[in-house]
Amino acid sequence: MHKDAKKFNFGEAFGELERIVEEFERDDADLEKSLKEFEHGLALAQKCKERLSEIENKVKEIKAKFGEAIGR
Amino acid sequence: MDKIYSVSEFIDAANELLAFEVWIEGEVSGFNISQNKWVFFDLKDKEGAKVGCFMGAWTLREAIEDGMKIRVRGVPKLYGKTGRFSITVQEIQLVGEGALHRAFELLKAKLEKEGLFAPERKRKLPRFPARLGLITSREAAAYTDFMRILNNRWSGLEINFFHTQVQGEEAAPQLVLAINYFNKEMPNLDVLVITRGGGGLDDLAAFNSEEVARAIFASKIPTLVGIGHERDETLSDYAADVRASTPSNAAERLTPDRAEILASLEHCVHLLEQEMEMKIKNAQNRVHDAGIIFERSLGERKRRLDAAKNNMIMLINRLIDKTTTRLDFMMRALKNLNPENILDRGFSIVFKNGKIIKDAGTVAPGDILNVKLSKGRVRSKVI
Repeated sequence: MHKDAKKFNFGEAFGELERIVEEFERDDADLEKSLKEFEHGLALAQKCKERLSEIENKVKEIKAKFGEAIGR
Repeated sequence: MDKIYSVSEFIDAANELLAFEVWIEGEVSGFNISQNKWVFFDLKDKEGAKVGCFMGAWTLREAIEDGMKIRVRGVPKLYGKTGRFSITVQEIQLVGEGALHRAFELLKAKLEKEGLFAPERKRKLPRFPARLGLITSREAAAYTDFMRILNNRWSGLEINFFHTQVQGEEAAPQLVLAINYFNKEMPNLDVLVITRGGGGLDDLAAFNSEEVARAIFASKIPTLVGIGHERDETLSDYAADVRASTPSNAAERLTPDRAEILASLEHCVHLLEQEMEMKIKNAQNRVHDAGIIFERSLGERKRRLDAAKNNMIMLINRLIDKTTTRLDFMMRALKNLNPENILDRGFSIVFKNGKIIKDAGTVAPGDILNVKLSKGRVRSKVI
């Protein structure tokens, strides 16, 4: 789960989805290619949705000590 | 007689007596920086009393000008070379909102001139940040507010939290340290968030300090700074890439809204489906059109074939007619040439031994000749 979350980059996926939609509206590619893009787009949207519903924000506290760190 | 001092001895002895730390409050006058190294000014009070102050420019953190009310911490000293008495200043505190505000304005003007607030140097934050550094106080309401809004809006973030003081003397150096820590240890963070709730000018002093503003400006990680209430402005805000009005607003500026993005995703899916349907319909139409064109061309070919066939039949018929006519003519001609038709006209043909005789010389008396007439034959003998 954690590994998958790391591999999946929401920004990239969302950006790609937007690109597909834009191309879809503009381009008159052949049907077979369009169908592939269509399926890819739907899959990306699904992943993005899942990502939004599942994962929480994680907080890690930095344990730097001021006395030590100031010296560097 | 008591001890007679040389001048130098006296000055040393006096300085030994004077070597104690003192806080003095007064108004600045005659402020002057010499060769960018040495700072001279007098402190005076309402009674008109004044005392000279001296310090190294490198220890001067606050922006000072004449008329400002300040407190100095320092050690009194008699200078042998000039014979002058002055306070060697170690620390300056601004007194009252007026002085703080004036110092703020002075420092702001200075940093602005240096280009620390230049709009063209501001970087954009990524649209979907994934990893961030958060610098604030763990006890502050700012932390709670920021996290609450952040969790409402977005998920999947890695938040690296660095706890620092956000007010008091320790705040500024700790903030600088935290900023430098992230830049050194986690330079790939998407955003550095520095936030604190509202407060008076005094409470926000760390965020108005030159060192913090410079550290924010120098950060390689893009910075998002949200200090105070709506109206509060700090030099840290100005130096940041993106400025938020409050800690909550910082969370809003940092992340997109989950509901909005979900709606946007739905919209994308809807558009894709709509376009796909259209593409399929278009393709169907194209196939249909191609069928019609094919049929049309087939009909046309058939018509042409039929026409060609008819044409050919006509040609053949015409040829047959022509041939028949010619045949008739030839038959007639042949008929005319038939010798038997000549016999009808009274001629006869003479055969000897089955051969037609054309020369009387070829017959001798006694030969038997056959004469063919139009009707019947005559057998005769040459005499």
